Amino acid sequence: MKRIGQAAAVAVTGAVLAACGGGPGGGGGKISDDKVVLAVLNDQSAIYADLSGKASIESVKMAVADYKAKYGDKAAAKEIEVVTADHQNKPDVANSKAQELYDRQRADIILDVPNSAAALAVANVAKSKKKVFMNIGAATTALEGASCNKYTFHYGYNTYMLAQGTGDAVTKDGGKNWYLVYPDYAFGQDMQKSFTSAITKAGGKIVKADPTPFPNDNFSTFLLKAPGLSPKPQVLGAMQAGGDLVNLVKQYNEYKLKDKGIDLAVGLMFITDIHSLGSDALAGTKFSEAWFWNANPENRAWADKFQAKTNKRPSFAHAANYSAATQYLEALQRGGTDNADEIVKNLEGQKVNDVFAKNGTIRAQDHLLLHDAYLAEVKPASEVKEPWDYEKILKTIPADQAFQPANPACKF
Amino acid sequence: MILRLLAGSARGRLLLAIGLFLALALPWMIYPPIAMDIACWALFAVSVDLLLGFTGLLSFGHAAFWGSSAYVSGLLAVHVGLPFPVAVLGGALFAAVIAVPIGYLAVRLSGIYFAMVTLAFAQMIYFIANQWRDVTGGENGLQGIPREMFGVDLSDSFVFYYVGLPIVLLGLLLAWRIVRSPFGRVLVSIRDNPSRARALGYPVDRYRLLSFVLSAFLAGLAGGLFAISHGFASLQEVYWTTSGNAVMMVVLGGIGTLWGGVIGAALVVQLNDYLSTSEFDGIGIVTGSIFIVIVLVFRKGIWGTARDLLAPRLKRKRPGGAKSPGDDPAPAPAPDVNAPA
Repeated sequence: MKRIGQAAAVAVTGAVLAACGGGPGGGGGKISDDKVVLAVLNDQSAIYADLSGKASIESVKMAVADYKAKYGDKAAAKEIEVVTADHQNKPDVANSKAQELYDRQRADIILDVPNSAAALAVANVAKSKKKVFMNIGAATTALEGASCNKYTFHYGYNTYMLAQGTGDAVTKDGGKNWYLVYPDYAFGQDMQKSFTSAITKAGGKIVKADPTPFPNDNFSTFLLKAPGLSPKPQVLGAMQAGGDLVNLVKQYNEYKLKDKGIDLAVGLMFITDIHSLGSDALAGTKFSEAWFWNANPENRAWADKFQAKTNKRPSFAHAANYSAATQYLEALQRGGTDNADEIVKNLEGQKVNDVFAKNGTIRAQDHLLLHDAYLAEVKPASEVKEPWDYEKILKTIPADQAFQPANPACKF
Repeated sequence: MILRLLAGSARGRLLLAIGLFLALALPWMIYPPIAMDIACWALFAVSVDLLLGFTGLLSFGHAAFWGSSAYVSGLLAVHVGLPFPVAVLGGALFAAVIAVPIGYLAVRLSGIYFAMVTLAFAQMIYFIANQWRDVTGGENGLQGIPREMFGVDLSDSFVFYYVGLPIVLLGLLLAWRIVRSPFGRVLVSIRDNPSRARALGYPVDRYRLLSFVLSAFLAGLAGGLFAISHGFASLQEVYWTTSGNAVMMVVLGGIGTLWGGVIGAALVVQLNDYLSTSEFDGIGIVTGSIFIVIVLVFRKGIWGTARDLLAPRLKRKRPGGAKSPGDDPAPAPAPDVNAPA
């Protein structure tokens, strides 16, 4: 018998690690299970952990605390819980975690979800479970395009906003001739198209657009030929992201292209990238920003509260998570229920003006949040007065120009 | 399965009964989508073990077969509307077909060179999937794969587990048949001593190629089912870390044991699942440490070690320690992956 016991013990080893959950069924009240559950599903251990990660959970908790403070006894949601899961930047993990959050943890909404494949997978889960999903971390316009659905909202930024801000604004400021280098995969190709249309619409010209391998360490071929192109480009538009961007910028500085009259504009950059690279390496680079913590006293006050909890300054994603959670709770308050269809009805067309979104509207046709975006420039180290104070806001791009018109491919 | 029940020893029968019971009870014990993941990864790990443990070839590019089948199964389900088992079979056949040229070139090498060549081919598939966005969706992935059969909606994960499980069990049965067949015996002899097998007149490369293709087919079955189960196929499926994950499961569970892959898969998938909600951000540190401990302390993996503990009792019971034909082969020594070609 002992032998059987051993064999069985080994065979069961794998099966016992996970705890069995599952709670009682939903109550009959207006708030399901008498509890509102906000779930933050994002990358807490891989490349997007700094941009959003665990600190976004704090943002959502701040939103919950502010909601409770604002409404006190009148709050429709008496008990609010914030739960979280780490998708490790893997779409399949995001997919099963999203199901689990909705089913087992009784989440009423999932927030964040960076990585476009993961975001689209979670959007499908939200659609089939008929629960609310507000995406913040992913940039793909497919979320409000062909892959849109009734329960999914895109909140914060997208590739169009990134391209529009930088391409349009830099061209109108005199950077007429562009040399674009873009990584040769879907994101890079999208960015290249968006930039090209933004630049030509603003009266600029694409001297040349070169695809680069992805991932890539060595950009010297492209950088060295830039000054010799005819007509000579005034702006180098780099669509690379993450590690590739770091390499490209370092090499751009080594070849002293700035001294040769070629400015650098970047398609996708976050304050966390500047923080890890050091602002001197990127000084003068122009890019689109959805929000900057030190842009005005209101942002700064919120950033101070955020810093007290997390020991760092917020990225736009942290602020957007706060704002999205707040808007969800406000919609819940207006309708007095956490029923997803009611919430969606209450969010559609909603005007948003809070610490994150200025002149914001949640567009009813495609559930994209339109709000003011900004053209930012990286300060040289000499002008950086305190940690994380890396950006100078050059101009505001009004909400109606910052985002694309509704895509007819999106039907709920 | 029936074959095994008839031919196996008492111990084999018992283990099989426990295994089957666990497989059937799994969605009651853990969250059904995770149970499905375990089943898929288990078959994937077994396919890697077929090569690593029974042919002595460490493939570091099995994500190519898992992933390409995921995409092909998904495309078949989305565009042709095939019922999902047919779509999965189609994906697995596609994986087997692309394994022919890859295997043809790779099996001439062994050890680290074989691993590198398979990795290189897998990366090629990765880049094709990344670039060919009209078909694969690029980094957005192939989304919205329907989970249905003959118009019956299978979106309930609990139901889908039981509909999908037979595919995994058939795959495992096939793997078991392969290693128990005369063909499998030749593979083991090639693993242990390729020169001698060649001297005995066996076309070593052809055997290795066939083993490679069969392994790719099994990996394809698993990958296709995985894609249908999740409703999408993403670049993650063809990325090298996926190959690495499968190898890790085999090593954890025990190389050359088949059962080991299943145990390794159950462990790794659940560990990942558990850690992702634990608010602990060092997932890699935990899985990595477990891996190191197992490799250092239990050289033969969990199942290999467990079987060693059982073996002396077995010998006492059967005089002479003779093994019945249906018994597991002797615990395989880890193949020397560093041996030059």
